[in-house]
Amino acid sequence: MLKSSLKLIAAAALVLTAPAAIALQASQRPEIGPAPDFELPDTSTIQLDNGLEVTFIDFGLAPKVNISVQVMAGNVFDGSNTYMADVVAAMMEEGAGGESPASIAQAFASMGGDMNVGVGMHTTNFSANVLSEFGPDAIARIATVIRQPDFPDSEFDRILQNQIRNMTVARSQPGPIATEAYVGLLYGTDHPYGEGMPDVGEMDGFTMEQVREFYAGHFGAGRTRIYIAGRFDHDAMEAAIREAFGDWETGAAVDVPPAAPQSGPVVRLINREDAPQTTIRLGFPVSPIGTDDYYDLTVMNALLGGSFTSRLTRNLRETNGWTYSPGSGITNRLGSSYWTFNADIVTDHTIEAFAEIFSEISNLQIYEPEQDEAEGMRSWLSGIFILQNASTGGLIGQISNRDFFDLPDDYLETYVDNINAVSNADISAAAAEYLPLDQLVLVVVGDLDTIEEGLRAFPQLADAEFITDSE
Amino acid sequence: MSNRLWAVLGAVALFACSEPATGPAQTDNGNDTTTDATGSVPAGIEVDVSYHTLENGLRVVLSEDHSVPTATVAVYYGVGFRNEPRNRTGFAHLFEHLMFQGSENLPKGDFDALIYGAGGVNNGSTRFDFTNYYEVVPSNALEAILWAEGDRMRSPIIDQEVLENQQGVVENEVLVNVINQPYGGWIWIDLPMLANENWHNAHNFYGELDDLRNANLEDVQAFFDTYYAPNNAVLVVVGDIDSGETLSWIEREFGGIAPSEPPAPLDLSEPRQEEEKFGEIFDRLAPQPALGFGYHMPERGSPEYYAMAVIDQILVQGDDSLLNQRIVNEEGYASSVFGGINLLGNMYNYNGPMLWSVGMIHGDEFTDEEIMTTVDEVIEDLRTNEISQEQLDRAITKLRSQFYSIVDSSSRFGLADLLAVFALFDDDPTRINRIEQGFDQVTPELVLATAQEYLRPTNRSVIRVIPDPDGTLGGDDGSGEE
Repeated sequence: MLKSSLKLIAAAALVLTAPAAIALQASQRPEIGPAPDFELPDTSTIQLDNGLEVTFIDFGLAPKVNISVQVMAGNVFDGSNTYMADVVAAMMEEGAGGESPASIAQAFASMGGDMNVGVGMHTTNFSANVLSEFGPDAIARIATVIRQPDFPDSEFDRILQNQIRNMTVARSQPGPIATEAYVGLLYGTDHPYGEGMPDVGEMDGFTMEQVREFYAGHFGAGRTRIYIAGRFDHDAMEAAIREAFGDWETGAAVDVPPAAPQSGPVVRLINREDAPQTTIRLGFPVSPIGTDDYYDLTVMNALLGGSFTSRLTRNLRETNGWTYSPGSGITNRLGSSYWTFNADIVTDHTIEAFAEIFSEISNLQIYEPEQDEAEGMRSWLSGIFILQNASTGGLIGQISNRDFFDLPDDYLETYVDNINAVSNADISAAAAEYLPLDQLVLVVVGDLDTIEEGLRAFPQLADAEFITDSE
Repeated sequence: MSNRLWAVLGAVALFACSEPATGPAQTDNGNDTTTDATGSVPAGIEVDVSYHTLENGLRVVLSEDHSVPTATVAVYYGVGFRNEPRNRTGFAHLFEHLMFQGSENLPKGDFDALIYGAGGVNNGSTRFDFTNYYEVVPSNALEAILWAEGDRMRSPIIDQEVLENQQGVVENEVLVNVINQPYGGWIWIDLPMLANENWHNAHNFYGELDDLRNANLEDVQAFFDTYYAPNNAVLVVVGDIDSGETLSWIEREFGGIAPSEPPAPLDLSEPRQEEEKFGEIFDRLAPQPALGFGYHMPERGSPEYYAMAVIDQILVQGDDSLLNQRIVNEEGYASSVFGGINLLGNMYNYNGPMLWSVGMIHGDEFTDEEIMTTVDEVIEDLRTNEISQEQLDRAITKLRSQFYSIVDSSSRFGLADLLAVFALFDDDPTRINRIEQGFDQVTPELVLATAQEYLRPTNRSVIRVIPDPDGTLGGDDGSGEE
């Protein structure tokens, strides 16, 4: 029996391939019962005399332990040498305690993991996810990498060339180009928050001396937090940490230069000749994480652009087919946060798409969302909270985020309740207060011959300062 | 659809990509593996598996694990890139998008609203040998999700409007991932096109834009009739579930869906490659040259296949791998080297000819001849001398750890994926509990013999990306050599 129950309700007459098959009708839609209980795992934190803090998170069934050593040595400390933190981290992987990188890599591989070094805006993170029995060994080896880097001069040129190559590739992609220009408008290019990438040629003058200087100034126990998550022997791990890090000097106090993001209206246009899509970053400074308004912003973001069922995604993608992966989100910095909508929109429909974006934002500011839609967003955020906290890596991310931004101890325990306390009116109020279109910050990377005139004609951008440059 | 969580892919995030900035960060670990009584040493993996086949041919795999109160539902259809019609490249993936456009009892948008409103996430992806659709939801929503998936299998609604809408979305997907990017598709589209001879394995499976634009509702009907039937599908449910109750819900929601005539099997065979092949891509957007190469893999599941997995670990996986050490650390040709078996998935989730591939973006002061000479030194050593037991042990430890990471994630998607493909390809999801045995049978002698046959230069295809900023060197649109 051939089946042909696909419903083709096009106007055009189509010959169906077979008579309708006999298929049972669908049953009634089942009700969704109350959400299951979910409790965050137990954690405990200790502090060593030198200021190093360690948090243990018991979670999971697999005999693995996830180790994350987070040092306040990220790009925010680059000063005028953008990517210096990256160069330092890469040099720290070039051997430690007299042992070669190959030998260190083999040791981690034998424990069932790699050691990964990641440089973020604020921290440089040394992590390894190894079989539990090797947890103490992994701690000792990570400590050697962090505390006794060999910094071989012989490798410096190669490492620097790698970083330059990474920058060169990033400069050929529309996304990084747009982001660089966007954060520059928000924070100014004098602050590391506003530095997307080094300028071409900027890294050529980096020296090994600068690397050593950065290391000396930004690594130390007082600037470091360790997270241990998984299944592990507490006593053995704590002993290994005390042994490996107990006599580490405290180091310099953390000193992040203050920064306040600037509103617009400002539009920066970057030409990418014949580009088939327009890459956009559109946003505003918003209330920082930790404030009451941040929960309102979180639900507002999910409803407007931050989820697949959001209005902007439904409109631009599911109704119009002008873009594949639009989205919005909130980026947190120390003392400030900003909301951004990003998308790559087919060139020929860019102007229409902007009209829809402006209209969706204005609409949400004026009209409270219906209960079904708003409740769906609150439920979604509550549900994915389980997924966000259902892995050792996820838990480390959530808990370290809480610690980093100095959020209340019960931040995670009260998160779902706080999300559910956001009213439908709060959602619109957050959009009205924090997304004022006459103060927007906008970057557009695309084929300006096709789109510039239409963009300049928007009344919403009438008062905006336009900055135009070719890529 | 293909958009949202989990870059299921690794190196290249396509067909399923880019979560919203505020989405959950999916990492690894959490549950599902079992251990010995002391819990101190991994005693291998033993996944709970129950396997059933409904009267209409739908294969059902269930696996209970109550560590986190969520359930993962995955429907895999036995249709992928290799099955698409010759004048409709990219159609399998386009069809995947269409399956999110509504069904009889869930008009467009309601399916997503149901899942998101329950606090879950969903996605789909298209690969060489399957197309999948999956959801992760708090376990209280499982029954409703099964009802929704049943409705979609029974009676999706696809009309001209949604077809045109998703043609636009997919075209934008190709633009954002390939055409408006440097290094867009060189190693995961162009290299298989170069290496393979059989059209099913050697066409542009993301789709020529003209083919995507020409797709019509008759194509949609024919594809659905041929491939989207319960007897060509596997349904997996894992997580915080009651297997008996779940099976009864599945019987109710899927049992009445009529089967179709099984699709005719494809001839996917590739001839033994006897000469090294070379290809070039002139890329207007790439600032630096890139170099990639691929070797045809041994047959999936054979002893040599497991030996190639070991070779993959030794040569290119992890900081300790030989090519990383040589190319990145010693010679400094590139910032990194990447590669593996099946760049659009992993070594388990494909069922046909496949490449083991390696790629790098390298400095333009190094010629591809120079780099390939170095690569050959590393590889010829593996074809001449047996590896040490210590090298083998380390490779197998890495493989085990990687296998655990696939199986053991908070979304449980990796586990669902393996159960689904082993049911779909082998009619045996319990294979998941025997994978480690496959690694254990590998010996230094087998690695040597496998390297001698499969790492032959004549079994290799080499592809270069040549920066061509002005479009004068031979490129046309910067998107490759289609």
